[in-house]
Amino acid sequence: MGPQSRSRVAVGPVSATARRALAVYGQHWRINLLTALEYRENFLLWAAFAVVYHGSAIAALWVVLHAFPSMNGWDFRDMAFLYGLWMLAHALHDTLFFGVGSVPEYVRDGEFDRLLIRPLDTLFAVIAIPGQVFPDELILALAYFGAATWYAQVRVDALFVLCVPFVIAGGTMIELAINLIVATIAFWFVRVDAIRWIVLQLESEFTRYPIGIYSRGVRLFLTFVIPFAFMNYFPAAYFLHKSHSTFALPAAAGLLAPLIGLAFLAVAYGFWRVGLNRYQGVGH
Amino acid sequence: MTIIEAVDLNKTFRSIVRQPGLGGALRALFSREFEEKAAVRNVNFALRQGELVGYLGPNGAGKSTTIKMLTGILVPTSGKIRVAGIVPHEHRRENGQNIGVVFGQRSQLYWDLPLRESFELLRAIYDVPRDRYNANLRHFNDILDLERFMGTPVRQLSLGERMRGDFAAAMLHDPKIVYLDEPTIGLDVVAKEAIREFIGTMNRERGTTVILTTHDLADVERLTRRILLIDEGTVIYDGSLAKLRDEYGTHRTLVVTLAETYPEIDVPGTTLDRREGNVVHLRFDRRDVSAEALVRRVLDTYRITDISLAEPDIDEIVRRIYTDGYVAAPAVVPG
Amino acid sequence: MAALVPGRFRFAPYIEFGKKAIAREATYRFDVFTSIGSFALRVYVLRMVWTALYARNAAPPGLPLHSILTYSAVALLMGLVLDVDQVSSLYEKLHDGSIISDFMRPISVPLYFFADGTGEVLFHALLIVPSLALALLIVHIDVPSAGAFAAFVLSLLLGYFVGFCVNFILNCTAFWTLEIHAAQLIVTWLTDLLGGELVPLVLFPAALQNVLYALPFAAMFSTPLLIYVGQIAPARYPAAIGLQVVWLLVLGAICTLMWRAGVRRVVVQGG
Repeated sequence: MGPQSRSRVAVGPVSATARRALAVYGQHWRINLLTALEYRENFLLWAAFAVVYHGSAIAALWVVLHAFPSMNGWDFRDMAFLYGLWMLAHALHDTLFFGVGSVPEYVRDGEFDRLLIRPLDTLFAVIAIPGQVFPDELILALAYFGAATWYAQVRVDALFVLCVPFVIAGGTMIELAINLIVATIAFWFVRVDAIRWIVLQLESEFTRYPIGIYSRGVRLFLTFVIPFAFMNYFPAAYFLHKSHSTFALPAAAGLLAPLIGLAFLAVAYGFWRVGLNRYQGVGH
Repeated sequence: MTIIEAVDLNKTFRSIVRQPGLGGALRALFSREFEEKAAVRNVNFALRQGELVGYLGPNGAGKSTTIKMLTGILVPTSGKIRVAGIVPHEHRRENGQNIGVVFGQRSQLYWDLPLRESFELLRAIYDVPRDRYNANLRHFNDILDLERFMGTPVRQLSLGERMRGDFAAAMLHDPKIVYLDEPTIGLDVVAKEAIREFIGTMNRERGTTVILTTHDLADVERLTRRILLIDEGTVIYDGSLAKLRDEYGTHRTLVVTLAETYPEIDVPGTTLDRREGNVVHLRFDRRDVSAEALVRRVLDTYRITDISLAEPDIDEIVRRIYTDGYVAAPAVVPG
Repeated sequence: MAALVPGRFRFAPYIEFGKKAIAREATYRFDVFTSIGSFALRVYVLRMVWTALYARNAAPPGLPLHSILTYSAVALLMGLVLDVDQVSSLYEKLHDGSIISDFMRPISVPLYFFADGTGEVLFHALLIVPSLALALLIVHIDVPSAGAFAAFVLSLLLGYFVGFCVNFILNCTAFWTLEIHAAQLIVTWLTDLLGGELVPLVLFPAALQNVLYALPFAAMFSTPLLIYVGQIAPARYPAAIGLQVVWLLVLGAICTLMWRAGVRRVVVQGG
């Protein structure tokens, strides 16, 4: 390349990049918290809504299972735990990665270009954009998960303590992967609200009940196409010692959740790179 | 030293031809027709470090496409492009470290919190050493008077204050090159002047290369000495503003306020540009006839109450170039 | 508050407002597909859930599987059409100040609000046909007797008006608090649960049922639904519908009071 390459300002070796990323992410959270404080009353109301949203879902489950004690062998305690697994993964995702959902909006109004001129990885830049986020739902989810684990009389041994963080991480990655794919579609179709809405509906409906109640086709879909079943069903079945008798998968299939999540995320990230290339007009 | 270089730069966009109506939509499912639009065609230019250049062109001329390629957002179809020694789209992040951008119509500041919070975030993003950051802030505060509204949430700032904040934000990491897109749009006269001051100072003191895209030609006149004119994807003029005015400023306008209503106005050597009631604008080529001679002709023929001479308007020059195309050194018409 | 043209009440402007709302809804094309899509999804899921539950547990008295499936399908249809609990046109007007110019026109703002919301509902009502067709592919919906159906329609209308009042009251709080989005969502979710949209109220523990039936949420959803599936016998129609009327009057009065107080606040404080 010649003498010119010596004059360029390097962004830095890996350690410097990591340090920069950490500093930016720290700022991201500082601004999130400051903004939440700035809009205190609003934030309190949204925290109240989180309670109402999850509370009414669980209350509905309770009422139904009070009148019909067993759903395919799952009782209310089991269902409460099932919900807790999903809620925690979901809350973690919304707290950390909500920026991804805004990508279509950024592409639409031109803000996305602003991200491309930053000396940062684009996806990281998306995730690090500050917003009005406070981990209220996450705190609620952690509290609920603790309560549900105790209530469902789950055996809290070393294996449980070791595996649960990974299982939750797996669930978070599955949800992130789904949202990343939907966001990437915006590079082609700009308006993805409809797809987003359908996907959100699918998730909230199909993670609520044990998948044994559905037909084989649906179970196939939830296991191998969009792995919602790995977000909470398979892990719950394992920890609750329930047989899931699904497609000859091992009983401990639930523990594979982090691997499934990683794999799915890798696919989603590959798709994201393709989308980015398209946005930047590569190959024209 | 050349800091920005574009050689035979091309950018073509491929889009699917959409036929109207339901029949067209169905047809599109089976056979895809593409149409190609050349947004940038064989563009060549080189900017030296420390230049302050105006980049002008009508909407859709290829200005923003060029800027997007320079900033690393878009990948060129062909051609060579170098900014501060690197290829922007191949080293997007490094390029990002070298540049600052101000969009006049969109702020990069965080709306809900005071300026300082946005600055802190930018400091982290660009990894600006703390002492350099403080020094810059102090300096910008002096020139732009930021201290007055540093603690106010950005959403409560006036446009002028917000623009000043945006400028400081763009310069915080000492970029080598700054791209300004409509930086003075919507500002009042005082604010415009302050921004122009700042741009000029940064350019002079720090040697920051500035590319100014604007429709406000007063900005161009006030700040730049060199302009690049782009139209339909090609650079049709690259040179000094003075030279452009000389070449194209061959025409002057005599503005005459007549004392009474004359049905016909005809002054040899002039063309009637427009007439508003009793005020007539007479255009003439100063190479053909002197203003003095014309004034005498007018006074001989008409009764007037006022007469004045208007300088060639840069606006008009540019408009003419857009509509007629640029012709270097227009031929002298005898007469 | 601007007076209406004395002597004659003009319907025309309100019909226009209603039409505009329909046009506005129609431009949200994706809304149509996603509404119907999500509706079908929820019908399917509920069918699987109830079927699985009824397979292993004793059915509650008087509520066989086909009744509860009908209940769920009709509840979801109602939700699809009456989905106006997010209407916030009054809030928007307060937010951008255009309420002031409305005061100067001989238009009653509450009625405008009503026409606007109803316009949205009427547009959504067009979705009934495709949604119903789709639902019938997934689940069987019982057809009630003519009398029950008539009572159902009456109850449905009353429930709609009650719901409108609740939403109007929420919008009015914008006179004081400016932000209502979160509050609206909270009320929506509570209504879904306590109004029997998520789960029929007859399944709640007996002690709770008595309380829930008395609340306005039940008046919005549960009453018409229970009439439809026959859980409320014809003998009890007057009591059930009467309660809806009572709530309508009470909430209507609150609406009027809040509106007047809000207007006074704006006029006195100048926005």
